[in-house]
Amino acid sequence: MLVNSEQIIEALIQTIQMVGFSFIFSIIIGLPLGILLFVTRKGQIIENLPVFTVLNAVINVFRSVPFIILLVAIIPVTRLIVGTSIGTSAAIVPLVFYAGPYIARLVESSLLEVDKGVLEAADAMGATPFQTIFRFLLPEALSSLIVNFTIATIGLIGASAMAGTVGGGGIGDLAITFGYQRFDTTTMLITVAILIVLVQGLQSFGNILSKKIRRG
Amino acid sequence: MIEFQNVSKVYNSGGKEIRALNSINLKVNKGEIFGVVGFSGAGKSSLIRCVNSLEKPTSGKVIVDGHDLTTISKKRIREVKKSIGMVFQHFNLLNSKTVYANVAMPLILSKVPKDQIKQRVSELLEFVGLGDKAQVYPDQLSGGQKQRVGIARALATQPSILLCDEATSALDPQTTGSILELLKKINKEYGITILMITHEMAVIREICDRVAVMEAGKVIEEGTVFDIFSAPKTNTAQNFVSTVMHDQIPPSILNMMERKQALNHIFHITFVGESTGSPFLSQLSKILDVEINVLFGNITELQGIPFGKLIVEIQGADTEVKRALSYMQAQQILYKEVIAHAS
Repeated sequence: MLVNSEQIIEALIQTIQMVGFSFIFSIIIGLPLGILLFVTRKGQIIENLPVFTVLNAVINVFRSVPFIILLVAIIPVTRLIVGTSIGTSAAIVPLVFYAGPYIARLVESSLLEVDKGVLEAADAMGATPFQTIFRFLLPEALSSLIVNFTIATIGLIGASAMAGTVGGGGIGDLAITFGYQRFDTTTMLITVAILIVLVQGLQSFGNILSKKIRRG
Repeated sequence: MIEFQNVSKVYNSGGKEIRALNSINLKVNKGEIFGVVGFSGAGKSSLIRCVNSLEKPTSGKVIVDGHDLTTISKKRIREVKKSIGMVFQHFNLLNSKTVYANVAMPLILSKVPKDQIKQRVSELLEFVGLGDKAQVYPDQLSGGQKQRVGIARALATQPSILLCDEATSALDPQTTGSILELLKKINKEYGITILMITHEMAVIREICDRVAVMEAGKVIEEGTVFDIFSAPKTNTAQNFVSTVMHDQIPPSILNMMERKQALNHIFHITFVGESTGSPFLSQLSKILDVEINVLFGNITELQGIPFGKLIVEIQGADTEVKRALSYMQAQQILYKEVIAHAS
């Protein structure tokens, strides 16, 4: 085996950092965008066709660029934001550009699942759009949002493997540079095993949390 | 209290214009229970949704408690909405919140202080008979209990109007009865005006004071429940009334009569109020030389007035039958010869 346990632990920490931070920033960007996407739809509480159409198109553009290309294409933006284009923090920027629009879509689909009757009740009570979002929409969608956020996090773990291209490091990078490029089967197996445990753990956690919240 | 002036509502659905409401003029008085009945697609839903501005009329005015909803600002409309409670067919409760939180919601939206909310909610839950269910989630309740939560929620802000959108249509008959009792109690104790739409004539008979019959976006008949039930004019109204007040000879009896070829003098007799109590049929056969055969009977109560329908066969010589009829006329009993069934 070409790597030692310290290297594996360091890579694991890098992966957790990349996924953790990019997840937080992606939620900060994706959640409001997803809500906006939903509420500006036709017939929704603040229907606004121009905003919806533009937002919808922009999100589609980001979602259609393969991550490996996005990673390279936005290097100038990355440099602008974190001051460098190499390293773990530099990998977070493209990950956010990748996961933010994805989460916006997932949030939109979660909100679309909310019973229209509940929104009608909110309207009948004279709720403001702000109250409708925070008192009705989000609490009712929470369980589904958690399921979707779990999916997004797992997507981020996959994408973070490619972040090695810009020196982001992480478990995936270890698997590619040692396991794949230098034919180190043991490293490959260990890293893959770690990724499997990570994904399984996250998925179970998400499922349990969502189930605990879900009612009716 | 609620007034529709020439209200029309036109939808555009796939390039086709659908006229959900067609020049509606209707007035609901303060403190009454007003029912709107009609088949699905008649426009009842649109009508009730115009009252709290869930839908905006294409033309005409909707005046609620003196406010013209078609001209005031969005902010004012939200205020007016708070004085109107609404109960839904499918309850529309938040499944993620407890019964307590559901009932408290309208008060939270109005930024009522917490201790006042607590007091009001427990009062309301007590009133609807769910005092012990505050911390339970809606999915643990039966349909009737969910509707009680819906009603408590609708009453939270002490509205002057309660809108019921097919409030009992998803419930079984027994539960329907108890929910109607509750609505009656609300109307009596709080003097709240209730506007309800339904396709169940039994609901109208049970609690309404006045009723409007809708068809194809129009109000085709309107009057007190007594008037509509005792003398429906339009075909649709007659159909609706016949769903709860049968006035046909049961087919089995008709068959039997046909076999005996005895379908001669069949009369349809209507009693109203006082006359329901008098034993005039037995008087008839005593005074005159006729035999009375009751084929069908139905006595009910409409708004506290007894109301009965009988289908009888009067057997006897033609002259005696004629005398029987003039006797009925003298007693001011309404009758009609049922020609359709005579052979």
